[in-house]
Amino acid sequence: MFSLFMLVTLLLIGNKSVFPAGGDIKKTEMKKLLPSEVEGYQADGKDQFYDRQTSFQYMDGAAELYRAYAFKLLLVRRYLKADHPPMIVELFDMGSPGDAFGIFSYDTEGEEVGVGQGSDYGGGLLRFWKGRFFANVFAEKETPSTKTDVLEIGKALANAIGSEAPKPKLLNTLPKGDQIERRTRFFHHPLILNHHYFVSHQNILNLGKGTDAVLAAYSLPEGKGKTFLLLIRYLGPNRAEKAFKSFLSAYMPEAASLKTVKTENGKWTSARSHRQYILIIFDAPTQDKADGLIGATLKKLEKK
Amino acid sequence: MTMKKRKTITRRDFLRGTVYSALGVTLDSTLGKETGAEEKVKVVLIRDENVSDQQGNINLKIIQNMLDDGVCELLGEENPIHAWKKLIKPTDIVGIKSNAWGPLPTPPELEAVIEQRVLDAGVLQRNISIDDRGVLNNPVFRSSTALINVHPLRTHFWSGVGGCIKNYIMFTSTPWLYHADSCSPLASIWSKPIVRGKTRLNILSLIRTQFWSRGAHHFDRRFVSEYKGLLMGRDPVALDAVGARLLQLQRIAHFGEDRPLDTTPKHIFVADEKYKLGISDLRRIQIVKLGWAAGTLI
Repeated sequence: MFSLFMLVTLLLIGNKSVFPAGGDIKKTEMKKLLPSEVEGYQADGKDQFYDRQTSFQYMDGAAELYRAYAFKLLLVRRYLKADHPPMIVELFDMGSPGDAFGIFSYDTEGEEVGVGQGSDYGGGLLRFWKGRFFANVFAEKETPSTKTDVLEIGKALANAIGSEAPKPKLLNTLPKGDQIERRTRFFHHPLILNHHYFVSHQNILNLGKGTDAVLAAYSLPEGKGKTFLLLIRYLGPNRAEKAFKSFLSAYMPEAASLKTVKTENGKWTSARSHRQYILIIFDAPTQDKADGLIGATLKKLEKK
Repeated sequence: MTMKKRKTITRRDFLRGTVYSALGVTLDSTLGKETGAEEKVKVVLIRDENVSDQQGNINLKIIQNMLDDGVCELLGEENPIHAWKKLIKPTDIVGIKSNAWGPLPTPPELEAVIEQRVLDAGVLQRNISIDDRGVLNNPVFRSSTALINVHPLRTHFWSGVGGCIKNYIMFTSTPWLYHADSCSPLASIWSKPIVRGKTRLNILSLIRTQFWSRGAHHFDRRFVSEYKGLLMGRDPVALDAVGARLLQLQRIAHFGEDRPLDTTPKHIFVADEKYKLGISDLRRIQIVKLGWAAGTLI
C-alpha cells in the first residue's frame, strides 16, 4: 500500500528535502555577508554551517553557551593568505538583536576596538555584534600582524552586515550613575547568571528561555568592589511571584517584610517583585544604596 | 539507590564557608589534614620543567620517564615494565581512551608512550587502539578487556571541569542526555558494559592545564598554564577532585581572586556519593609528589 508515510519518505530521501528549504535561504544570506576576499586573504571555499543540533560537532563543550541563547545558525569560513596563519570567521545568526547583544555581553573583559555595535579584542580573538548577528574572528596562530588583520577582517564583515538594531529594552530601565557599561550582561539561562555572579547551583529564580534578565554592575567608591543589580522579566506576574518566593526561601529566608538582609560579607542584598519583574540588588555597601537602586529602577519600570 | 536530599547551595553558603560541607565533600584548604583511620586513595603527581619547550614541543624521552616514574610509584615497583605488567596482561585487548578536543588535546607524545608500555607489557599491536570520538565503532574498544583513560585537565562550560570521569562520555551514543544538572550523571556511564570494571589506569594530563574558559571555543591561550605534570591513579574521581582543586588554585594565582566556574563541578561529588565510583573528599586522597616542585600549588 502506498501510504502517505511512504510518499513523504520518498520526498525526503537522503535527507534532502524537495520542499522549499528556508534553511538554505538563510545560508545563502549569511554567505553573502562574508567577503570572499579581504586584506589579501582569500576564502578557502569550504564554508561550514552548523545549527543548534549540529553545533556540538564544531564546538565540543562550548556549544551550550550559544544554545543558552536563541542561536539559529553558524557559518564558519576560513581565510588564507601566503605566509600568514589562516584566519577563522565564525558568524552566528542569533535569532534576534537582543540575543546577539546577549552572547556578546557574556565576555567583555578585553579592549573595545570600535567594530560593529560593540566589540571586544583580547588574546588574538575579536568578538563583536551587529543587528541579529554575532561574530568571532581569530587567527589559528598569533603573529605580530595578527591583531591588525583580525580587526580589518572584522570591520569588513561588520560593514557588510548593514543595519544596526537596538539593545534589549530591559537595559533602558537600569539606573545610570556609577554603572559600568561594559559589565552589563543580558541572558536567559541560570548558568550565564552564575558565570557573572554566582547565586545558586540550583535554578532558584526559575530562569529559562521564557525569561529575559539583565545583570548590571555598579562601581563603589575607592575601588571597594561592585554592587550588582539583577532585573528579570517573566512571562507574567504569577510566574514572577512564584520565582520571587523561591528566591526568598532559598537565598534570604530570614528577610522580613522589607526583603533586605545584610549578608555574611557585610554587604546588603535587597529584593522586590513588581508586576512581571523581579529586581535584586547584591553586595550594596549600605542599605540606603540598595534602596536607592531599587527605587530608581522601579521608577523607570513604572514609566514603561 | 537515591542520593539523600540536599539543601540548595547559594552564594551565601560560599560566604559562610559551608558550601563544600553542604555538598558533602571537602574541596578546600583542609587538603593534607588528618581524617582518622580511613584508608586513603593514592594518586601520583609528577612534574618535569623540561618536558616541553617554549613552543610547546614535548620531549618524548622525558614524558616517557614521567609516565614510568609515576606508574612505578603508584604500584610500588622499581621497574616500569613490571609495573605495567601488573596493570595489563599480554592477552588483554586494550583501548586507550584519549581526548581529541582541538585546542587542548591529549598530547600525541603521551599517547605514544602509553601505547609503548602496553606493548612492552606483551599486548599485540593489533589488540591496542587509541581513540576518542570513534570508540563506539572501534572494534578494539568494542571487544576491549582493559582501558587506559587519559584526558587533559581543563575547565568545561557544562560540567565545570573536564577530566577523567567526563572522558567516557563518548561511550554513549547520546551524550546530550548526560548534560542535565551540570552533567551530574556522568559517572553512570562507567557502569555501562563497554567500560564497566575495565579501567586499569587513569591519567590526567597536566602538561598544559586550562584553568579558565573564554572565547569562541571556550579556549584562550592566556588562561592556559604550562604546568608540565601528569597526575596518575586508579581512582578517576580522586584524580578529578585533585584536578578541580588545582584549577581553582591556578585561577586564584592568576586573577588574585577565587573566580567561580560557570558550573560547579558537582559531577565529581556525585560520582562519589551516588555512583560510588571513587573518592572526592580531598582529605581522603594521598598525593605523592615527584619531580619539579616550583609552582606546584597543591
